[in-house]
Amino acid sequence: MNNILTVVNKEFSRFFKDKRLVLSTLILPGLLIFVLYTLLGSVFYDETTVYTVKVVHPSVFFSALFEPQEGETSQFSLQEEEEGEIEAVKEEIRAGTTDLLVVLPENFDALLAGGAFSPVGEAPNVEIWYNSASIDSSSAFGTVSAELDALEDFFSNRFDINISAGGDVSTAQEAEASYYAMLLPFLILTFLFSGCMGLAPESIAGEKERGTIATLLVTPIRRSELVIGKIASLSVLSALSAISSFIGTVLSFPKLAGGDIGSAISAYSAGEIVALLAIMLSAVLLIVSLISITSSYAKSVKEATSLAVPLMIVVMLIGLSTMMFTVSSSAHAVFLIPVYNCVQAMAEIFSLRFSWINLVITLASNFVYIVLLVWILTRMFKSERVIFNR
Amino acid sequence: MQEAEANPHAIIRAENVRKTFTLSRKQRMLEKSATGKKVALDGLSFTGYQGEIYGLLGPNGAGKTTMLRILSTLIRPDEGDAFVAGHSVLRESEQVRACIGFLTSELKLEDFFTPAYLFGFFGKLHGMSEEALHKRREELFSRFGIDAFAEVKVGDLSTGMKQKVSIAVSIIHDPSVIIFDEPTNGLDVLTAKVVTDFLEEMRAQGKSIILSTHIFSLVEKLCDRVGIIIDGRMAAEGTLAEVSCGRPLEDAFFDIYKRTVTGV
Repeated sequence: MNNILTVVNKEFSRFFKDKRLVLSTLILPGLLIFVLYTLLGSVFYDETTVYTVKVVHPSVFFSALFEPQEGETSQFSLQEEEEGEIEAVKEEIRAGTTDLLVVLPENFDALLAGGAFSPVGEAPNVEIWYNSASIDSSSAFGTVSAELDALEDFFSNRFDINISAGGDVSTAQEAEASYYAMLLPFLILTFLFSGCMGLAPESIAGEKERGTIATLLVTPIRRSELVIGKIASLSVLSALSAISSFIGTVLSFPKLAGGDIGSAISAYSAGEIVALLAIMLSAVLLIVSLISITSSYAKSVKEATSLAVPLMIVVMLIGLSTMMFTVSSSAHAVFLIPVYNCVQAMAEIFSLRFSWINLVITLASNFVYIVLLVWILTRMFKSERVIFNR
Repeated sequence: MQEAEANPHAIIRAENVRKTFTLSRKQRMLEKSATGKKVALDGLSFTGYQGEIYGLLGPNGAGKTTMLRILSTLIRPDEGDAFVAGHSVLRESEQVRACIGFLTSELKLEDFFTPAYLFGFFGKLHGMSEEALHKRREELFSRFGIDAFAEVKVGDLSTGMKQKVSIAVSIIHDPSVIIFDEPTNGLDVLTAKVVTDFLEEMRAQGKSIILSTHIFSLVEKLCDRVGIIIDGRMAAEGTLAEVSCGRPLEDAFFDIYKRTVTGV
């Protein structure tokens, strides 16, 4: 036990005393995710942009579509334009000074009020001129054409959907939960894996490559103690790296997707959070053990990183499985499959379908796999072909 | 006293040690081996006595390093067994490692850490108390002149100083047996002198030392007894006088080599 702590201590010293390692593993992932997601969010969801739309033959119904709600400002600035200026406005769109030109039929309001049906190609045409090379012009085109489609549907109404009755049977919380159940297991697994990938190859293959692991192996320490010490410390450090990435995501999420992971997580009970942490712990131990094995097999850090890539692809695909299908809570055998069981068990908790049996199966089977992997790694540390394979 | 000298205490004993390596496809082509196996040690036996320096002399590839790796429990023999201070390398590997100090150019210290940190780390792995560690540190750091560099990262030290730190770390637990693989390989004359002086000092303290080398002068200078290994077998063994028969060791070695390899 003392030897395990000594190894853990040394691994922590190696990590925390190295400013570059701390920066690249703990600070940069969270910071980069925050900056990247926030930038993406501000590009795609910038509500402060005002689109300039010039309208030939303005209409009351058309203008009403872009009236701001109470307390909001409109994103569309509609300006009347003469028919003779159409070509000039097109040039403005090309130059980027105007976003959109809408040429409505002369008697647009009367046409709508008349409600006459015309086949496609024979109905009066609304011209919308835009520039697909400009993001603002394209966005304005998308919104205006969608609004016009809706207006057309409204005036030629044959039936309504969910107006007098009908609706979502799930609560708002359940709907949000199922969204997070799809997304979060994948994100968590990705963060854990990338954290571990930055550390384990260096700690195991690196020591092998530099010849420092053999120096450890001629001390009275047991191989199993060295393996457990390495896996324990790498798991803690990978988890810290994953937490950094997760904080970056939580902070940037409102900007990126309009939701708030923080408040969504606070909706779960303490028991569910503990269960989640237990699953994540088993996932990180599993991933660290797997990467440690490939790193021990590798001759160099470079080779260890390359060997971890196929493993990463498999883990990512498993992480994506929640976006493609959900597993029935009664399908207990599924929870015996390593990594996949972590993803599905996390998805169950996030989607408020928590099952004790599946949690216990997941944790117990993962414990068996981890013990097995530690045993394999211990055997590898005893093998001269592995230790001196340089 | 006389009886003790007549029956010196055997502290290192190898008994019919056999070790075979599986060759990679590339090695198989280079070695022109049909079986894909290379016999590194072919029933090697020898004994090292307390308080002496025993030299394993042989050409490259003779099996010296393999034998020392088996003695330090880094690898296991396929057949036979070896004993260090009465402990079997097969069954009591941890006890064996507790009483040996193993040094080779292949075993490195992490460049990132300082000698002071590494000293503490390896001391703890040897189960030493803080007090014992402190005392031993003062003793060894001043003996090898490491004091001034105690807080300098190993990566920033000169080759000579690195070697001194490696020696200090390897004998931190005051082992009774010191195993040294090619002790002066790749060292400049000054550092090599530090190593040879250290080995003589250890012998004077009653430690038992086994070293491997292919340098005749080193054997003549240091070793009490010598075993000549050729192709994984013990070709000749005895005191320096017995093996060299009054001739320079180099001449004696080539005679033995010719006799063993050609059978003449």
